[in-house]
Amino acid sequence: MRKLSFFIFLLYAIGYTQNKQVLYDFAGLPQTLLLNPGAEVNQKFHIGMPLLSQLSVQGGFTGFSTYDIFVDNGIDINDKIKKAVNNFGKTEFVAINQQLEVFNGGLRLKNNNYLSFGYYQEFDFLAKIPRDLVDLYYDGNTDINRHYSINKLAFRAELLGVFHVGMSKKINEKWNVGARAKIYSSVFNASSKSNTGSFFTEDGNQNIYKQHLDNIGFLMQTSGIFFENGEEFDASYVKSKLLFGGNLGLGIDVGFTHHYSKQWTITGSILDLGFVNNTKNVRSYRLKGDYELEGLQLNFDLNNPENYWTDLKNEFDDSIVLDTVYKSYISFRPVKLNGAASYSFGQKYDDCRFLIDQGLYVNKMGFQLFSTVGAVHSYLAATLFYERRLSKYFQTKITYTADPYSFTNIGLGLSTQIGIFNAYFTADNLLSLSNIYDMKSASFQLGINFIFKDKN
Amino acid sequence: MKITKFTLVALIILFFQGCTKDVDFNQLDDVNIHSTFIATLIYLNLTAPDFLDDSNKEIRVTNDFIELPISDDSKPYLEKIEFTVITENTFNRNFRLSITFYDEFRQPIYVLQPIINISESSPEMTTVIEIPKQDIPFIYDTEYFGFDIFFPISTDGSTIFINDDTSTFNLKSSAKLFFNHNEI
Repeated sequence: MRKLSFFIFLLYAIGYTQNKQVLYDFAGLPQTLLLNPGAEVNQKFHIGMPLLSQLSVQGGFTGFSTYDIFVDNGIDINDKIKKAVNNFGKTEFVAINQQLEVFNGGLRLKNNNYLSFGYYQEFDFLAKIPRDLVDLYYDGNTDINRHYSINKLAFRAELLGVFHVGMSKKINEKWNVGARAKIYSSVFNASSKSNTGSFFTEDGNQNIYKQHLDNIGFLMQTSGIFFENGEEFDASYVKSKLLFGGNLGLGIDVGFTHHYSKQWTITGSILDLGFVNNTKNVRSYRLKGDYELEGLQLNFDLNNPENYWTDLKNEFDDSIVLDTVYKSYISFRPVKLNGAASYSFGQKYDDCRFLIDQGLYVNKMGFQLFSTVGAVHSYLAATLFYERRLSKYFQTKITYTADPYSFTNIGLGLSTQIGIFNAYFTADNLLSLSNIYDMKSASFQLGINFIFKDKN
Repeated sequence: MKITKFTLVALIILFFQGCTKDVDFNQLDDVNIHSTFIATLIYLNLTAPDFLDDSNKEIRVTNDFIELPISDDSKPYLEKIEFTVITENTFNRNFRLSITFYDEFRQPIYVLQPIINISESSPEMTTVIEIPKQDIPFIYDTEYFGFDIFFPISTDGSTIFINDDTSTFNLKSSAKLFFNHNEI
């Protein structure tokens, strides 16, 4: 069972951040509006298949892969673990993000604006693991004078429901802009950031060693994890909190599409510019102080026996103060930035009518940038892409992405539209498909929509 | 059209080529992560009055106790403990230091071996004492650590005096805890 748990952990650790580089601006899908509310869509209206319009899973661990540890090559696993630890960077991170669209719809208004709306559930987890803590676990603290620091230690975890309404508006032939308002309902939130402090051992004066907890400053804020009023974390609790019963927040997405010329297009978006006001079941822990210990000096005074352990514990508690805080707090959502420049070319040739379709290019290639900016972690990824309309029914996109996980991330998207039925699938890290255990990150999105095109 | 068909076939092959290379998760049984932690322990700076009673007669045995409840969370992983004791004695008398583990009823359950003998007027001396793996369980039954210093009668009949003896008996100590995290 422990092996299974460990395996599942590692598979989850082959995780994701929130870069949907293949889906971004792909095939005019309704879901592109969630990545850029100013994206152009040309349908009259659409309905996403309930619970199936978008399932998105992403994850990654920058440290090492499952294959690095478990490859069956005759080398002792302890040597492979040692190598992985030696190659561990100053800080590595593990990230998992999952989204499930419960419903999604949209319609073109009389003024030609496109109104879209929906509700999705999102789970987000990210942890930054400093090498110092790995070394402390792996080697211990025999390295005298080395400071094992928690300065880079940070994490966030959140489960929330998001109701959203957005509008995409064509201003003129060159500009299309859009915005989306979001209401967040958080089931739970936990985060820790801006931590300080270190643990170190030095040669002592009175004793062999002197040990220090230096400038400790640790804060962990939580909501919806510790319950004060007899509530229990079960399915009905989660359901009620996801549907506006949780800690509420507001957010906004904005975006644009700009046709710089007939063939050059620039797009950009800022997503999740928002916050959650955590007021329910809030409990935070703050640890602060300095402490040093050179040892216990025994007095051998039988007439006045001392309670060394209690004295030591009291001294520690006085020096490193743990406060439990029940005050509301605001958590900011990690902001996502998307930007792209693309060049369209190759006009479609109509085999039946022997005509070139003047308004439609079948090829598009370009460059995308993605970044998350958050208090816990920031991330940057760059993507080159090529998109091609294969036929009336199929559209595809191939991406090459360089990010903190890998410089060899090839992604692929397929979208098919037959009548009103649309299905799409996107995935990245395809080069690692030859050995999925060697993936450091992966993501996929898939979904089904019913898209009704304007007959005109 | 040929390009379209070719691309489609290529895409299908690409999507369905996913496979794995040989991995062996049973290797988990062989994991041994050895880590060693240093902890500072007790120190002593004893002078003549510490070995004299209220009527200034030498005390043959002086002792002290530390109550130290030890969590057994580390039980499966702790393999060995190594104590380092550094002594320095400027008294012209021998000492013997014994460290005994006591259970919650203050009954002795384990005595660290060897007992440390400190010669008269001895410079800094380092002694390493090990608790082997088979004796580790005693640690978890221990509630008190007792430190006994034996102060034998001098061979030449001399005694120490509270006022004019500036001799010192110093002791420093630390522990090395050897863990093997072999269960992940």
